[in-house]
Amino acid sequence: MSNIPAIDRASRWKTIRRETLRALAALAIALLVTFIVVLFTSKAPFEAFTQLLTAPVSRVRTVGLWIDDVVKLTITGLAFSLVFQARQFSMGVQGQVYIGALAATYVALSPLGATWAGIPLGITAAMLAGAVYGFLPGIAKAKLGANEIVSSLMLNYIAIELCNFLVRTNLPKPQAGVLTTNDFPDSAVFPALVANTRIDLGLIFALVAVVVVWFALYRTSWGLKLRLVGHNARFAEYSGIKATFIMVSAMTASGALGGLLGSMFVQGQTYGKLTVLFEGGLAFEGILVAIVARSRPLAVPVVALFYGYLRQGAQLMNIRTDVPAEVIGVVTAIIILLVSSSFSFGFIKKLFNRDPARVSAPVAAGGAAK
Amino acid sequence: MMELFLTVFSAAFFVTVIRTTTPLLLATLGGLIADLGGALNVALEGMMLIGCLTAVIVSVYAPWYVAVAAGLGAGALLGLIMAFFAFRLKADIILVGFAINIFAAGGTVFALALATGGDKGTSINLPSKAIPAVDLSVLSNIPVVGPTLTAFLSGHSVLSWFAAFLVFAVWYFLYRTPWGLWLRGVGEYPAAPEAAGIPVNKIRTWSLVVSGALAGLGGAQLAMFNYVGFTREMTAGRGFIALGAVLLGARHPVGALLAALLFGAFEALAVVMPGLFNEIPAEIIRMIPFVVTIAALVLFSVRAQRALAMRGAK
Amino acid sequence: MALLEAIGIGKTYPGGVVANDGVNLVIEPGEVHAVVGENGAGKSTLMKILFGIEQPNAGRLLLDGREVHFANPREAIDAGIGMVFQHFSLVPTFSVYENVVLGSEPRNGIRLDRQRAIAEVQELSERFRLKVDPLPPVRALPVGQQQRVEILKALYRNARILILDEPTAVLAPQEVQELFVAIRSLVAQGKTVIFIAHKLPEVLEISNTITVMRQGKTVGQVKTSEVTEKSLAAMMVGREVSLRVERKQTDQSECVASVEGLRVVNARGTEVVAGLDLNVHAGEIVGLVGVEGNGQAETLEAIAGLRSIAEGTITIANENAASLSVLERRGLGLASIPEDRIAEGLATGSSVAENLVATRLNDRRYVRNGLLDLKAIKAHATKLIEQFSIRVGGPSYAVGTLSGGNMQKVVVARELCEQPKLLLVNQPTRGVDLGATQFIWRTITDARDKGAAVLLSSADLSELLALSDRLVVLYRGKIVAAFVNTPDLTPETLGTYMLGLSTQTADEMKAALK
Repeated sequence: MSNIPAIDRASRWKTIRRETLRALAALAIALLVTFIVVLFTSKAPFEAFTQLLTAPVSRVRTVGLWIDDVVKLTITGLAFSLVFQARQFSMGVQGQVYIGALAATYVALSPLGATWAGIPLGITAAMLAGAVYGFLPGIAKAKLGANEIVSSLMLNYIAIELCNFLVRTNLPKPQAGVLTTNDFPDSAVFPALVANTRIDLGLIFALVAVVVVWFALYRTSWGLKLRLVGHNARFAEYSGIKATFIMVSAMTASGALGGLLGSMFVQGQTYGKLTVLFEGGLAFEGILVAIVARSRPLAVPVVALFYGYLRQGAQLMNIRTDVPAEVIGVVTAIIILLVSSSFSFGFIKKLFNRDPARVSAPVAAGGAAK
Repeated sequence: MMELFLTVFSAAFFVTVIRTTTPLLLATLGGLIADLGGALNVALEGMMLIGCLTAVIVSVYAPWYVAVAAGLGAGALLGLIMAFFAFRLKADIILVGFAINIFAAGGTVFALALATGGDKGTSINLPSKAIPAVDLSVLSNIPVVGPTLTAFLSGHSVLSWFAAFLVFAVWYFLYRTPWGLWLRGVGEYPAAPEAAGIPVNKIRTWSLVVSGALAGLGGAQLAMFNYVGFTREMTAGRGFIALGAVLLGARHPVGALLAALLFGAFEALAVVMPGLFNEIPAEIIRMIPFVVTIAALVLFSVRAQRALAMRGAK
Repeated sequence: MALLEAIGIGKTYPGGVVANDGVNLVIEPGEVHAVVGENGAGKSTLMKILFGIEQPNAGRLLLDGREVHFANPREAIDAGIGMVFQHFSLVPTFSVYENVVLGSEPRNGIRLDRQRAIAEVQELSERFRLKVDPLPPVRALPVGQQQRVEILKALYRNARILILDEPTAVLAPQEVQELFVAIRSLVAQGKTVIFIAHKLPEVLEISNTITVMRQGKTVGQVKTSEVTEKSLAAMMVGREVSLRVERKQTDQSECVASVEGLRVVNARGTEVVAGLDLNVHAGEIVGLVGVEGNGQAETLEAIAGLRSIAEGTITIANENAASLSVLERRGLGLASIPEDRIAEGLATGSSVAENLVATRLNDRRYVRNGLLDLKAIKAHATKLIEQFSIRVGGPSYAVGTLSGGNMQKVVVARELCEQPKLLLVNQPTRGVDLGATQFIWRTITDARDKGAAVLLSSADLSELLALSDRLVVLYRGKIVAAFVNTPDLTPETLGTYMLGLSTQTADEMKAALK
């Protein structure tokens, strides 16, 4: 019996290695496809591709941009991981980000914002607002059976319009006509950790969030219940776990993370104010982070590190060459498709070698089909 | 109030409603086909968007009908890709759908920038074409009702008439042909058609291809009639609203038509109302379809649960 | 010449399970050919091969003396073979005729020719004495009629050979007779029927020829007229078996669970349990008898707390349990082994340790202040893995990586590692091989011998007769008969009550409803 923990650990490492290899292979394929696209569309494809792959580390400032993206991707990745682990397909992080940002903005621009309470209160308000916004599709599903995918998507659009509306009409602006609020008082803006970069207090929050989500999922009974519900809701009910409560609470907790991200956007060094459409589609990219990380909180920041690098590389490539940053959408889609499917080295071999005699050739390392 | 009343019952408003309804109706029918085949097609949004861009770009170089066909083809191709990953590679179909949406959101802007030489917002500097409206002014020769008929029936897109025909065609296909029986069987209880020797995955694949084709067609209507030209994210959630409309329409083609008309009417109001009520902000009006979708979803779910209770599923 | 012949069929599943090994089968035209054997003897695999669902690793199939290969069911159907599975393949909302013609519809242009479909279904059902109305949706039909729809499906596709996979398992004894009438009429009109079964009296009644299988091999082929039930049983198991299970004398004085006036209404608003009074005592097994869907499953679910009740009281260990949660009821000593153990009893993606502790998440030994005691959870799992000899690499392995039998053991270990006061068991051996059946029967009787009150529901009357101390028959959610189990109690006696053909008076039941 004594060797069982060792086998246990070995099997876990094997799984991690296999998943890592799969993700890296997916990344390589995605980059290859992107390269081909760039090759055909750009006047200076190699320059563009070099920028994509090296620009983020070219200067201190760009490193800051990269880390800033990583921090935010980590939070949205965690938010998606939480609901995915409960096997809920709530897509509401984007809406929660806007609602959270609005809540943080109201705090920051209130008299309280100018005091020491600006940051803690702003974050709390944002998380509460996000939690409520995550709770809504949850309770609609639990009590009324409303499909959470559609309802959470609708709430995203509603939140964006609400934000547009309030920025335009209600919140104080530096001048009429601009779609951005007054700058927040310094006391309501996260202090920078590294001077002259966007690396700010948000980094600490992201690290704390990773640990908290990991702890909640793997060390508390709530987390075990959540994972059991995710694996088999019927079994969970049979075991005496209130599956609907767990689903709703997972969506609410995920909403709080979305709200936190909203406050990190507007109270961070990047903005320090609320602007319409500030989020730029980043919230949805948490889907990719969560999928590649297999919804494991500890893997989320690692994936975010890689993906944030690409994302920032694409932005810089956009500025410095003729290739638009949006090409990254192609990379994202391919990675999601490959990682979430049963794709593996073995499968690629099978796809290209229809000759049965050759399929039995030794499979590349780590290529065991799932 | 009177003014609103008059507007709503005017022929011009009716024509606007038909115009706003058509893309949504096409996407909803697409969603319906996929849904009855057992797949929630969350990629309608991305399929529509790519349909929009493909149609616009092709229309620069080819006649309008070729452009419409290209939009349709693009959607169908995406449906095929979705089917490949979901059925052959066993990926979760929801995730595949979102991958396609993400691809569409980025890919269209990328392609737009290439096509326009750097403009990432609109295709305004591309000489894209429009789908012709069907002119029925000959009807005004009919005594008494002629002018009214003309006012109501003239000026609709060719695709609007086609979409109306499709409602019937989809209904006929689903409830009168063997293949409709197969599709519904596959969606409800795949083991049965499988045991009867029906190729289940092939049916599912076809349902996604048709679903994508219809969404792409909806995109073509949006970018070649409702608006002429492409704007980034111009579908603005219509694909997702269509998902709600499928449920609201009780998973039936006629229901889909009614649901699409409802959403189309709200959108038409949003188009017409700013002129009437300056004090209602545009953002709030733009929210209406999304709020209605949620309301519809909740109401329908309650209704569905009750219906289910009547039918006796556990 | 034989109509259908299987020669030396071998089938090994990926995973190494040898399901068929040198199986021979000779089917003559116009006969009813029974294939018998214990669960897990390889009958189903053989039939799947005949029907093209599985491909054999070895051996040949001859149809009309010509070698055939069926890559899929379609090819088998086209060759004139039809199959009726135990689990019906019917689309619930489709009407009877739609289900029958699905996949081979009569057409009129691109249109499904509805009139012709209905007429053909009607014609078939009259010709083969399989009476069923073609218009209602199949979900509205009782099981016996759904089975007829399945048979009609095969006949509609011009099946010459009809394979019936344990067709009587879901039927009450009287419905079995109706099925036999239909089978005789099929044979009279030139069809050939292959009949899979493990209930010997039925086999002796309906078949002309019997092929006996054991552990993936054919033991032999005999004429029905030349065998007896006893000689057949000996062939099947290779040794004499007693179907009664050894049980200790127990003290059955303490009433552990009682249900009074229980009413359960399902989602469609129908009353599925209609005023049930029942006591279960320590040290006894009470069998719930009934055709499936007469309230047995709902009764068990209501007692477990998985289903809300409309009326009545549920008392477990002297506590009013009607308003208690699942966990609180488990706290009173309730354990439950669900019917579909893998779908309902396990989270296959979670680890063995997590599955073993899933029902104890309010237990201070494993969870304190909402935090998991991982050490205790792991130790608990390690202990149970050893105690129940579950074959697994370690407590943190996912349950999904285990073999079916070991998954079963995980469920049993979790439910029975602490002696329960009340054990609920639903269909304990459905789809389980002989070895596992004996293991499960032993576990249940052990729990009883140690003083647990057991409430058992099963579709298999021989199982109920083998295990129960008392039997109550449910019909439409009511108890219509109750018996103290004695060796002279027969399935036929139970059958008349199961179908609601007769009802005991309160006095008659009294003795057995203590």
